[in-house]
Formats: sequence, structure tokens, C-alpha cells
Amino acid sequence: MAGNQQRVIWTIGGGKGGSGKSFITTNIGICLSHLGAQVILIDADLGGANLHTFLGVLPSAPTLSDFIKKRVSHLKDVLIQTGVPNLQLLTGAQDLLDAADAKSVQKRKLLRSIQSLESDYILVDLGGGNTLSVLDFFLMSDGGILVVTPEPTSIENTYRFLKSAFYRRLRQTVSSNSAKALIDEAMDGKNEAGIRNPYELLKEVRRINEDDARTMVEEAETFHPNLILNQVRSKKDIEIGFSIRSACQKYFGIHLHYLGYVVYDQDVGNSIRKRKPLVLENSRSKAAQCVTEIASRLANSHRMRKGM
Amino acid sequence: MKRIEEQTHYEILEVSPNATVKEIQQAYEHARETFHSDSLAVYSLFSEEEMQKIQASVEEAYRVLMDEALRRSYDQSHSHLIERSPKGKQTEKLVPSSEIKGSLSFTGLSLEIGEMPYRGKSLKQLREKLGIDLKAISSETKINIKTLEWIEEENLDFLPAPVYLKGFLKGYARVLKVDSQKLIEGYLQLYEERKKK
Repeated sequence: MAGNQQRVIWTIGGGKGGSGKSFITTNIGICLSHLGAQVILIDADLGGANLHTFLGVLPSAPTLSDFIKKRVSHLKDVLIQTGVPNLQLLTGAQDLLDAADAKSVQKRKLLRSIQSLESDYILVDLGGGNTLSVLDFFLMSDGGILVVTPEPTSIENTYRFLKSAFYRRLRQTVSSNSAKALIDEAMDGKNEAGIRNPYELLKEVRRINEDDARTMVEEAETFHPNLILNQVRSKKDIEIGFSIRSACQKYFGIHLHYLGYVVYDQDVGNSIRKRKPLVLENSRSKAAQCVTEIASRLANSHRMRKGM
Repeated sequence: MKRIEEQTHYEILEVSPNATVKEIQQAYEHARETFHSDSLAVYSLFSEEEMQKIQASVEEAYRVLMDEALRRSYDQSHSHLIERSPKGKQTEKLVPSSEIKGSLSFTGLSLEIGEMPYRGKSLKQLREKLGIDLKAISSETKINIKTLEWIEEENLDFLPAPVYLKGFLKGYARVLKVDSQKLIEGYLQLYEERKKK
């Protein structure tokens, strides 16, 4: 399948540590590879990169920094074979995202080199971070995926991340400095201008620059992050995903795409302890079936987008 | 990006302008569940005041859209705002026009059971208004059709003892999204009345 087609990059982030981003990244990656696609997983989790553990691969292999420091000449040379056919792993991206001085030039260079990799799908695990670099990476991909558990803390953190990402995206698209300054101010929840939500921000921007306000509205319409609800235990939990979608519609005016949910399942913990991915170890478990369904939905949405 | 005040009733409930009565009912239940002060999905985004505003808009949208006459006049007065051909942004089901006519022909009663006691006959009317047939209820609840018919006919002679009946009523109420407690109470009253005779 890999070849001249453009690769699709999905970034998995938001929320907080422990919501299951690495588990979901790994297992969706394997499902996509089972569909016959070339897949690369990239570990960019600042809080503790451990995709290799989920795959049962040793961490001593070459990393992205070997490429950045020019110890190897091609990015593909630092890809690790995972033992799963069609699935490769790239670690060490967190070093670049972590750097306080990571300039957007550098980030763009990283993204370009990632885009140059030969693969159908590239999944980037961003971890629970909320730094500007992480936000930029989340926004630069073809699709951002938020992984949330049905708990107040997880949902709160996800909204915080989403708000940061949304405002960051608006900031990138407006042209006037005064509008940028207003957005910066609105990022602070207790700002002096009294801007408490995106609509009040829009109202303020409209007052100073009509064109930028129009741009913001257009941008909001094209911002479609995705949501996966993990560790659901009841039908009511599943409904929370739809409620989050509605809340985002009313609060941000954006359309969040509810990709699906993964049920709480003892088998997940067991597979992680064994360092064997769930969809390989226990493909008939409930959680594995949920992940498989999400993966095929992702593959379909991508096909539809490309009109395939 | 439209503020609550600027959204049409359809946008408030997140339904297409072609939504059926059943779709509106479901959307309303969902919105009530979502914009509720205990809802996990909203408490950290909206202030109390904002929540009240949303709740009021949801109620108003439901009130208008569930009444055929009010909905028609709303559609006319807001035709410039209502997007008749959604751009496929949301997963809206387009309903064939015959189905819309079918479900809207039951206009004699308001959808909420309202003043009527919660009993078999009102259940039947509500079900018909929503355009759901007994077979669908039966497959959803795993209750056999005959029993559902007896429930609707309030045929106490054939129905099982109240202790079993309660479970059936609960299941039926859940499908129609009516208050199961009220239904059970209303139904048990029937037994009381019968005893007195």
C-alpha cells in the first residue's frame, strides 16, 4: 500500500497521563498494519516514552536524535522493527519537543522529515503534555485524537488541552498583532478583559479587526479533533462521549468527532504486564474488539477523505 | 461559531431541519442529560448562569419543534437561518418525506403524557406518535408482543403479577424514554381501583 500516496499523520494527545494514549496508539497501529497498511509509531511522550514497552521492544535501539545529530543520514535508518509485520517504531521525538528553545523552524523540519517517511499511517503518541511544542505538533498533523476516561479530572484536563490547542490554532491564523495579543490574553482564564469563552474572544476581536474575526469563524469550522473514550464501564459512560461532543459544540463552536470507546477490561492490564500488545495477545477480548473497530473507522474516514 | 442566542432551535438540539419527532425526542433527552448540573461533560466549561441559558434554550427548542403548528410557523419565520441542505458535517440521517408525514399525522396530543395518567393507553398513544411499532419495542425489551399489547390495553386479567409486571413496565418506559417510576405508579393504581370495585 505504501508508495506515492500521501501518508496520514494522526497525533494522540490531551488529557493526562494514564488515560491510555500509549495503549491505544500501539494497538490501533497494529490493527492498521493488519489491514495491510504500512504503519510507523512515533513516541513523543515527554512524561515517559514507553511505546517500546507496549510492543515488547528493547529501548536501546537508535533514536531520532541520532538523525538530528547527523549520526545517521536517513530518518528511515533509525526506525526500529517491531516484530509485527508492516509496523515500525521511532523513538526519541520527545527530545526535540522537550527542548525549551524548540523553534517552529525546527519543529517544521521534524514534521517534514516525518512526512518524508515511507508509510501509509504515522501515529504520534504525544503523551499528556500541554507545552506549545506539543500543541503545535497536535495541530500540524492530519488529525488530532484525544483520549479521555470518563472521570472529572480527565475530562477537565482534556478541555484545558483543547482550549489551548484551539486558541493556538486561532492565533496562527489571525494576521493582526492586536488580535494575537487578545488571544494571548484570553488564554489566561482570569484575564483583565473579562474574556471567559471563545465567543467573548470573538466579540472582542471583531471590535478591533473584522477580517480576523471572520478568519476565526472559518477556522473553527475546519477544526475537527477526534475523541476516544477509554475505560468505559457502563452505557452511561459511553453517553459521556456524546455529551462531550455536545459541550464542545456549545462552548467552542467546533465539531468534535467521537471516534469510539474502549471498554474497561482486565485483559488490558494483563497484556501490558506481559509486554504483549492486547490485539495480538488476546484479540477476542472486549477491549481489543473496541480498538479494532476504532482502527477500521479511522482507516475508512481516511479513505473517504481521499475519495478512495 | 454561533452563540447560544444565535442558534436556531435545530442547532440547539443538534438535529437536522428534517428531523423526525422521534429524533427530536432523542436529541432532547440527550441535551437534558448533557446540560445538567451534575453532568461530567459540562461543569468545568460553563458557569451556572450559562447553564441556565442553555437549559432554557433546550426546553424552548423542544417545546416548539414538538408541536407541528409551532414548528411550521417557526420554520417559516426563520427560513433564512435554517440550512435546508446540511453540508454533511454532522452525521444526520436524511428521512424520506413519507416518513415525516407519517409521524406528524399524530397531532392530536402533545408528546408529553402531561395531564393524562401514565397508563397503557397513554403509552400506546405516545408510541404511535413516535412512530415505533410494537415489534421494535419487543425486540429491544425482549418482552413478547402479546404482553406488550396487554400492557397497552390495560388487560389486567392476562398480565402477570405486579411484581413481574414492574420489570416489563420499566423496560417499555426505557425505550420510550418516559419516567418509569410514574408509569409503574400509574399502573399499580389500576389494580387499586379494581380492588375497590
